[in-house]
Amino acid sequence: MTADSAPLPIAAGVRARLAQVHPIVPWLLVLLALLPLPLVLPNAYTQYVVNVMAINVILAVGLNIVKGFAGQVTVGHIALMAIGAYASAVLSTKLGLPFWAAMPAAMLVAAAAGAMVGIPSLRLEGAYLALATLGLAESVRIFISGTEWLGAAIGFEGIPPPYLGPWALDSHYAYYYVAMPLALLGLYFSFSILRSDIGRAFKSIREDALAAAASGVNVPKYKVIAFVISALYAGCAGSLQAHMAPGFLHPNNYTITEMITLLLMVVFGGIGHIWGGVIGAILVTIIDDLTRDYYEYRMMMFGAVIVLVVIFMPRGLGGIIDDFLVRRRFNVLRGARQTPRTDVHAA
Amino acid sequence: MAIDMKRTFLGLAAAGALALGTGAPPAHAQDGVIRIGVTLRMVVENGLKYGQMAKEELEAVNAAGGINGKKIEVILLDDECKPDKGIANVNRFIHQNKVHLVMGSTCSSVSLPMVDVTAKEEVPQIVPHSTNTNVTKKGSAWVFRTSVSERFYAAVHAKYLAENAGKKVAYLYTNDGAAIGFANDYMAYMKRTYSAEPVYQAQMQETDLDFRAHLLKIKSVGADVLAIGGQLDAIARISQQALEVGIPSKVRRVAASAASNAPVPELAGDAVVGLIYAAAFNCKDERPVAQAFVKMVQEKYKVRCPDHDFSQAYETAQIVKQALTAAKLGLTDATLKADRLAIRDALANVKNFTGLASGPINFCADPTPQCRDGNRTGILVEYTKGGKDFDTKVLARVSFEPDFGL
Repeated sequence: MTADSAPLPIAAGVRARLAQVHPIVPWLLVLLALLPLPLVLPNAYTQYVVNVMAINVILAVGLNIVKGFAGQVTVGHIALMAIGAYASAVLSTKLGLPFWAAMPAAMLVAAAAGAMVGIPSLRLEGAYLALATLGLAESVRIFISGTEWLGAAIGFEGIPPPYLGPWALDSHYAYYYVAMPLALLGLYFSFSILRSDIGRAFKSIREDALAAAASGVNVPKYKVIAFVISALYAGCAGSLQAHMAPGFLHPNNYTITEMITLLLMVVFGGIGHIWGGVIGAILVTIIDDLTRDYYEYRMMMFGAVIVLVVIFMPRGLGGIIDDFLVRRRFNVLRGARQTPRTDVHAA
Repeated sequence: MAIDMKRTFLGLAAAGALALGTGAPPAHAQDGVIRIGVTLRMVVENGLKYGQMAKEELEAVNAAGGINGKKIEVILLDDECKPDKGIANVNRFIHQNKVHLVMGSTCSSVSLPMVDVTAKEEVPQIVPHSTNTNVTKKGSAWVFRTSVSERFYAAVHAKYLAENAGKKVAYLYTNDGAAIGFANDYMAYMKRTYSAEPVYQAQMQETDLDFRAHLLKIKSVGADVLAIGGQLDAIARISQQALEVGIPSKVRRVAASAASNAPVPELAGDAVVGLIYAAAFNCKDERPVAQAFVKMVQEKYKVRCPDHDFSQAYETAQIVKQALTAAKLGLTDATLKADRLAIRDALANVKNFTGLASGPINFCADPTPQCRDGNRTGILVEYTKGGKDFDTKVLARVSFEPDFGL
């Protein structure tokens, strides 16, 4: 069993019972369990960090789809987030759309951009695809920096928070109830995709595109689908970032440094492991926050973590979980073989 | 298997140590202490020294028993000139550290969203470096600025150059906030005052290295003035390349206030001779207060000629200390809101503060740029020598009315 196929880390007995109910039920239980979290957090700043974590989880889970499931080397994901963020900001400030309409629309804009990013992947692979997507990321950032109606290098201000009737969800506590359910929803869909035909097609492309094509998988189509789905996640994360108080966007938030941080989340968690990506996003957000006091050495520490993870945990936390599960199963099987077959002796 | 386990353990230990071990425990708001959160762009040339000086200046009162018997605690963070980092820092200051005052930031693009946060949470904020006009135009009752606003800077050099060089200006600037502000305000002033349109304008990337194509075009349009907007490396590079392409010295060159930073003359060498810029302070200032400051920076921070980011960080710390002395503070959890209000009101009462700035600094209660842009005096400085031992001279000193440029 791999971490991919385990929807929730729960005991086998409990899972057997849950198998008899609708797959959404465990997720609703998790949602219910997470609802009171703001009540136990010590202050609004911690709440702010948790909201950033939720956004990072969406982003990392989305990147995992294209990178982990479909095996496409992209380093331009941060640009898709920027596109989603600015699309949502423009739709809500210039066209007056509420957040609840601006966010899905921004996700579609990001998805369209994702399809455009996906097209080069039909002809490019590995380092060449990485370079192409890196070029896209820089182009988007530079375009924003030079476009006055997007705030250029001064920044895009005055993005309104989401409203629930007359109530503005502009506090960190209130925003949690927007960001957290969306992160859970993203996770749920990620597992659904992985278990579907599309997910299997992604994994077959990742393992061997030629063999997948020989087996009847439409490789170009599924590559573009992977980029589009991944971009939907990035658009959602971008929109959430845009509408979080104080509602300010700036191209400096979408540089290569942010992209490396995002890659670290996925690599740390384990490429291709959904739960690993989630844990990676949470841990990297915490590390980012804790190292802020050590600004002189912060980037050095971040670099050290990347190097250590690559050397000692090349498959990330997800790989460790996999190894543990495989080893446990192996030990169980070996134990079973070594047990004397009393029935034979009896005969 | 054993080796794998060992490697995994080492990897997890390293990451875990970083995530848990090295993190500072959340600061607990301690009663009886004045807490100030400072966020600046630190990891750049002299950035750490600006922050270090602001912290040391503020905490220096502790050795003498504090302010009215109360100690000052400064929490210093780097925002890397990134708005999301600045927003995170100010949220941490306000909600976790429970600061009484926020000081920051360096970059306008960071100060702008910080103003929204401090206004909403009702925490006084004093801006030491940012020059973008909009910082105080947002109408926040909680923001004060000690740096000179771009609306004043633009006029300092625009008026001087229009009268002494000409009105045909070519603009070459990079796409960072300060450079765009510099170019836009200069263009607006020339259009408003002299109906003069740019003879050439081009915006480049902050990371661009080669500006020669634009400079050759500028050479051919017969400009009187070359206006250079950018951070220090761009200014140095453009100055040097302007010389290389043969733009004659009779074309006066003017740069954004980042030109006051020492790396500009050090990188560009003698190509900076004749380059002028507006600033808030010059290390050749002969006033005793200025010379004492220069000597202190030379001895303590090993900087030969401190620029105006040093002087403004220092000045801001002195103004904060004056306001804290005047404010009646309870300094308990229960009085936090009232203390923040008292500090804001004390800052609004700072009148005719005379220090390193070239003119007096005045604040008042209205949440308008007229009241909150405290420093309204700019100086115009010209480089007379480049290289490590660069030299400058002050060409003009101009003070403005509070509503100038609005």
